Parts: sequence; structure tokens; C-alpha cells
Amino acid sequence: MTDAIGEKLVVADAGPLIHLDELSVLDVLSEYAQVCVPDAVWQEVMNRRPNALGNSAVPWKKVTVTKQFPRISALAELYSLHSGEQEALTLCLVAHIDTLLSDDTAARLAANNLRLTTHGTLGLLLRAVRTGTRTPEQVLTLLQAIPQRSTLHIRPSLLAEVIAQARTAWGFDGGSL
Amino acid sequence: MPNLIQTEVPERLWQQAQNMVEQGWVSNMQELVNESLRRYLESHQDALAEHFILEDVRWGLTGND
Repeated sequence: MTDAIGEKLVVADAGPLIHLDELSVLDVLSEYAQVCVPDAVWQEVMNRRPNALGNSAVPWKKVTVTKQFPRISALAELYSLHSGEQEALTLCLVAHIDTLLSDDTAARLAANNLRLTTHGTLGLLLRAVRTGTRTPEQVLTLLQAIPQRSTLHIRPSLLAEVIAQARTAWGFDGGSL
Repeated sequence: MPNLIQTEVPERLWQQAQNMVEQGWVSNMQELVNESLRRYLESHQDALAEHFILEDVRWGLTGND
């Protein structure tokens, strides 16, 4: 699949969809050509955030995954993957999509094993500045709000480090944000 | 079902482990090995999560897709 912004297809696991919706910024995914969501992930997101997948700014594609790969079954056992994560990885292989959106360490490890690229909520938030979907100020505010507004688990000191990196990259050192 | 493992341990490390058992920090060598393994896996899981996050941050800030 092409790497150009606006032409890229991705497969989504539940984590980033839930966390971005909690922050009311699911539209940062609008720059993708298609966000493919397997049935099990779709159901998980519907259970947690019933309105998330109704966001019309995102080019959703709900996909039923029927094929099974022994390699993914083995990885699922090794890393204790849930059905949604297994379906998402399978969909990547079936549809030849090389990028998985996931916040789960085990799923990312399995994806690495399959030579897939993974991105999570934090990367997608920061990317929003590159794509022009959000300003640096807006993203810094969102990052700071993660502990209060989202169920994304991140060690506070690591989140502080991420914010510091973003501030430096965007030239905010010495500023008020 | 518990798994049986066999491994070579450097002499100094083995002595330290035996001392821990003898001093009563753990009830036996099996408990020490299990606890060591569990803590190693936990700490590396955390390190792995951090690695993925920082890699993702680099992509978010400087990637091209």
C-alpha cells in the first residue's frame, strides 16, 4: 500500500479508536483513505463507545474476517491476543495492509513479528499536526488531558517525556504551553 | 501444568541465590526462580511498551505518512 498521506489504508484495533473518541478527536483519522475495522473490533468499540463508529469524518470500512492463519493462531497463543487483535492482524495479511493501529503492547509485538508497522493513540495525535488536522497547541492540550479524559494507560513520567519532546519539536520551549 | 527447566548458572550468581534461600527471603530455590522470572518478564513488558510508545512518538513528530 502507498505511504502517501491521504492514500494509505490502515487496519484498526479497538484501543486507538476508543481513546481518540474519548478525547473527541477521532477525525484525526480522516486523512487515511480507509480505516478498516474487523467485526470483533467493531463490536468491542460499539460496546465501549457506541457513537464512535458513527463519526462521518472517518472513512470506515467494516470487514468480516473468515480466513485463519496458523502463524497468527500461534502468535495469539504466545502473546495472549484477544479476538479483535487476532482479527486485525489477520485482516492486515489478507488485505495486504501494512499498518495496524493499536495501543496494545502484545498486539504490537505480534505485528512486529509479522513485519507490520504499528501506530498508537499518541503517534496519531502528534501526526495530526503534520497533516494539519490539529495545531500544535491543540495537541499539547490533548496530551495533557489524557489522564483525565482517556482510559489510555501511560506512566505519568513517560507522558511528560512525550509532551516535552513535542514541545521541543514544535518550538514551544520557554513558552507558556 | 508446571514446566521443568534445566539451565547453567554462574557460580557467583548461584551462591547469591542460595544465600537468599538460606536467609529465608524465599522458601526454596524454585520460588526464587519463579519470582525472578516473573519480575523479569514484567519489567521487560513495561520496557517494551515504553519502546513502542517512544517509537510511535518519533513517527508522529517526524514521519511522512
